[in-house]
Amino acid sequence: MAEKINILDELHWLMDVLQSIDVGLVVLNQDFEIELWNSFMQNHSALMPSDVMGKSLFSLFPELPENWFRRKAESVFVLHNAAFTTWEQRQYLIKFKNYRPITGVAEYMYQNSTIVPLIDTQGDVNHICLIIYDVTDTAVNKEGMRNANAQLEQLSRTDRLTQLFNRGWWEECLEKEFKRNQRQPSDCCLVMFDIDHFKKVNDTYGHPAGDEVIRRTAETLRNNLRDVDIAGRYGGEEFAIILINADEDGAGIFAERLRANIESLEVFYDGTQIPYTISLGISQLNEKINSPGGWIEAADSALYEAKHAGRNCWKVNKP
Amino acid sequence: MDAANTINLSADERDCLQEITNVAMGQAADHLARLLDQFVVLSIPHVELLSPSDIAMALQSLQGPQSVSGVCQGFLGGGLAGECMLIFNDASFQDLASLFKYESELDEHTEHELLMDAANVLVGACLKGLAEQLDVEFSFGPPMLLGQHLCIDELLKNTNKLWKQALVVEINYRIEDFNVNCDLLLILTEDSIHRLLTKIACLLD
Repeated sequence: MAEKINILDELHWLMDVLQSIDVGLVVLNQDFEIELWNSFMQNHSALMPSDVMGKSLFSLFPELPENWFRRKAESVFVLHNAAFTTWEQRQYLIKFKNYRPITGVAEYMYQNSTIVPLIDTQGDVNHICLIIYDVTDTAVNKEGMRNANAQLEQLSRTDRLTQLFNRGWWEECLEKEFKRNQRQPSDCCLVMFDIDHFKKVNDTYGHPAGDEVIRRTAETLRNNLRDVDIAGRYGGEEFAIILINADEDGAGIFAERLRANIESLEVFYDGTQIPYTISLGISQLNEKINSPGGWIEAADSALYEAKHAGRNCWKVNKP
Repeated sequence: MDAANTINLSADERDCLQEITNVAMGQAADHLARLLDQFVVLSIPHVELLSPSDIAMALQSLQGPQSVSGVCQGFLGGGLAGECMLIFNDASFQDLASLFKYESELDEHTEHELLMDAANVLVGACLKGLAEQLDVEFSFGPPMLLGQHLCIDELLKNTNKLWKQALVVEINYRIEDFNVNCDLLLILTEDSIHRLLTKIACLLD
């Protein structure tokens, strides 16, 4: 008799544990009808066992994509293996509110889930158990970190004053583009330009005025770029642009437009207008250029030519 | 590495391990064929004691310089602990999608989904067979994405290098008429190796 009571006691405890454990437990049959619904599920869904028993999971929770879930469950029925889903695949299986509705950042719970086979006395699997874990905090932290990293990456690539790429990242892009072109040659031009007599701007109007000139130059440059072009601030008043799928003629058109835009630009600082111009050098990538550094040198020497020719103009480096 | 601490496998132990995994794999292939309605070809498992850098090298030699995607999943039970790593050649996705009857267009997200499904099926089938052979039951952690579209070095860059030696069982999966090439590495921790060898010793007697 005492033994019998013990077994009943034990069963009672086990049921208590199933009820009060803070993960969702759902037993489903092969038609995906609910046969067990523990208190985690009851409390989060506000549905009592009497509301859900014998009803299809998909009809009760239309947010759960049927084909998606069936695919996972089918492998459990056939292989008798557990299957897993994570919040990175799908935020939730069943749309529950965040456990912390007041201070929580996420509106809905992030869930991982495990689907395990329930093997009956004959060794068959006619039921599966869906276990739902609340992983909201982990998920929110991970997403926060991912966003912070993306922001850091962005910051580490960007020049503060101009919001163009900084020299380090731009040079990495140049190297990548150079290598890509060696594998799959296509027309590609490098344009380098700088502001004529920039020292004079600084000396005459002061450094804040010089900064304004650089900012407006970058803005004008940006307005003349296509999405694929890669522009960076190469030095103090020096800029560099990789024009993808552009030959010398195309680069010439770009250079002339930029030159003319800058010449006609009205930059004011403290009520004084600062007129200025730029000089540009162009180098189209060709087989004689055998390194990214060599490409920069070629564009730089064209820029030097433009300076010699009296500034406010552009020159092409001829191989 | 301190030579005195290095574990060595005897020829018998290696043969026995290979045999156990081979039987386990045979069962896995059978289950998979039933689920996927396709004939699954598994290579003879290759058993080796490896260091972290050896693993990257072994994968490199299997997958070549092409970009790969991978998932890993931890498991433990019966005193054994380890991880399963599943590495897919990126060229496999189109066929993998048709194998798993995916209808939507392939993008990064569906590929992630496919990797997880493949991990559920392949890792589950393989470890279930092994657990039966060794008469243990494993618990599993959720599968984690190692990375997508990376070279092997990048894929394993963020994994820890705290351990010196692990027992690696390497299995190559191919599926008939499909261009799916995938490697499954079953990696057992150093402290599991002794327990495994004890279990094997019983089988060898």
